[in-house]
Amino acid sequence: MMTNASQITQAGLSSLVEDLRQAGIQVIGPARVTDGAVEYQRLADLSGWTPGVQPRRSLKEWFLPVTEPLFRYRKQGPRVLVEELAPPDAPRVVLGAYPCDAAALPILDAVMGWDYRDDPWFARREATVILSQVCPGGDASCFCTDVGIAPDSAAGADLRMCPIESGWRVQVETGKGEAFLQQWSRHFQPANGSKNPLPPAGPPRSEAPRANPERVRAWIETHFEDPFWQEVALRCHGCGGCAAVCPTCHCFDIVDEPENPVQGARRRNWDTCQTALFTRHASGHNPREDQCGRCRQRVNHKFAIYPARFGRILCTGCGRCARTCPSGQDITEILARIDQWAAGPGGA
Amino acid sequence: MRELRDLARRLLEEGSVQTVLGWEEGPRGARPVFVRRPEEAERLIFDPRCVHNLAAYLSPRRPHLKGLGRIAICVKPCDAKAVAGLIRETQVARDQVVLIGLRCGGVLPDPEGRETLSGETVADRCRGCPDREPRLADHVVGTAAEGFPGPSRRQQKVEELLALSPDDRWRFWQQELARCVRCHACRQVCPLCFCEQCIADKTRPRWVESSAHGRGNLAWHISRAMHLAGRCVDCGECERVCPGGIPLGLLTRRVAKTVGERFGWRPSDDPAVPSPVGTWRPEDPQEFIL
Repeated sequence: MMTNASQITQAGLSSLVEDLRQAGIQVIGPARVTDGAVEYQRLADLSGWTPGVQPRRSLKEWFLPVTEPLFRYRKQGPRVLVEELAPPDAPRVVLGAYPCDAAALPILDAVMGWDYRDDPWFARREATVILSQVCPGGDASCFCTDVGIAPDSAAGADLRMCPIESGWRVQVETGKGEAFLQQWSRHFQPANGSKNPLPPAGPPRSEAPRANPERVRAWIETHFEDPFWQEVALRCHGCGGCAAVCPTCHCFDIVDEPENPVQGARRRNWDTCQTALFTRHASGHNPREDQCGRCRQRVNHKFAIYPARFGRILCTGCGRCARTCPSGQDITEILARIDQWAAGPGGA
Repeated sequence: MRELRDLARRLLEEGSVQTVLGWEEGPRGARPVFVRRPEEAERLIFDPRCVHNLAAYLSPRRPHLKGLGRIAICVKPCDAKAVAGLIRETQVARDQVVLIGLRCGGVLPDPEGRETLSGETVADRCRGCPDREPRLADHVVGTAAEGFPGPSRRQQKVEELLALSPDDRWRFWQQELARCVRCHACRQVCPLCFCEQCIADKTRPRWVESSAHGRGNLAWHISRAMHLAGRCVDCGECERVCPGGIPLGLLTRRVAKTVGERFGWRPSDDPAVPSPVGTWRPEDPQEFIL
């Protein structure tokens, strides 16, 4: 029986990855892509693994792909034959997920299992073991501690890893993590000594929260027509880059793509409330007619609508939206301003 | 900076404009700012971190900016070419905007500006840029600076790619475009992508597949590059904002090379220079017409 705290050497991790590969289990982790940035990639071995750099895009695309076929169809006379696709349940391991990415997954489980059960999402969730890492450090745009997460959060992780001198210390967080550790126990050793299984996390990067989520939510819910939304949208180009890199933005579009007159596929593709097309009706009318409404929607959904419906903020404070915004829009600045008004006289 | 702030304050005070569009210090470096009160003119900055092409905000497909009154916009020499493009294509009337030209010796690749400006750190598009001050301007402020010699690495890369076999070039683009998520950020920040309805948004019928697979991505990026033929001013914004880091400037440069060779066109800040797309001349090359 393994104890809850184990450790693994770097060489042990390499041979674990090799064994997983041999067993047909896909390994996903942060690695450089051709333009030099780091993304979560399929790893053949550990040579390109870069756990110390936050990937440019979040882990979400490994559970909700940028584009994915839902089924194929073929017209035969007056009938349409539907060809179901195999569920995406190939076993996978994520090695070195950032805590802000791992934490997004259980948040999204709520909506994915809400009015219907999203089969592809849960097939991937169940087939994936997540080894997260204690955050190796972020930058001034990080704000996980403002939204109830921390650099050493266990949310969404089956196992948590923390670097130690001889490799990594590993702590079990779920039954799935325990089973994984047992199955591959030959690569791990029991952690020596300490009762405290992981070294204490470093100080959170924002010492004091910049906004109180409850106050922010109350203000948003009562200020739908506030002129602030006009002002905040001025510099927004509506590019949707924020949604593309976000671990929790999950909206999608469904399209039928014919390959020829008789056959094609129904696909689901990422979509974002930051574009005009997102809300345009078939009549041509667009109820969310300009960028002001779209900026408001993004903040509203994350910090008021989702918490009201599911009890969770739809944000993990990863800071990617601020890093990617071509116009320097910063969500923490927006939240701080709202909070200031909400806390002031007359507030929410 | 003093000169810029004083000018902005004066324009707002005398009421000749209601908004000055420039750059300010943001949480992650320089960023666009809409100054609407004279006392806010102190927020304005200009330095090599002011990389954004603000001309994109003049595009008519931004209805939320219509209430800002008459706008004075800060332009670098390259940004002025985008404004000229909008005037040339009748999207903006010359007397509708006040142009504050800024003397420029090149900018950094991104607004955070972690480095100081040098031949090594300068944005690639600024290498070989001959323009130190915009000619299309109502006011010109700032200090003269020297530019940086070309050619740009992007220009060299275009030549390198052209020297590859079609198969190798195909592999290169397949690999690069695989990172596209079809967010269309490249279109949204482009000052010359001003169509009321973009071909990529047409759904009845769907001309360009919205799926981020090889077919859809290729269709989108080729359409975009072709639609910018003789129009792209090489401001590099599409490439800067791409969340997938795709070298989109290579596509627009490649098209610009042909338009330059065939029609003698270069991006210009003179709105009177005719657009190659909007002009027909009897001597235009046409041997490709069957």
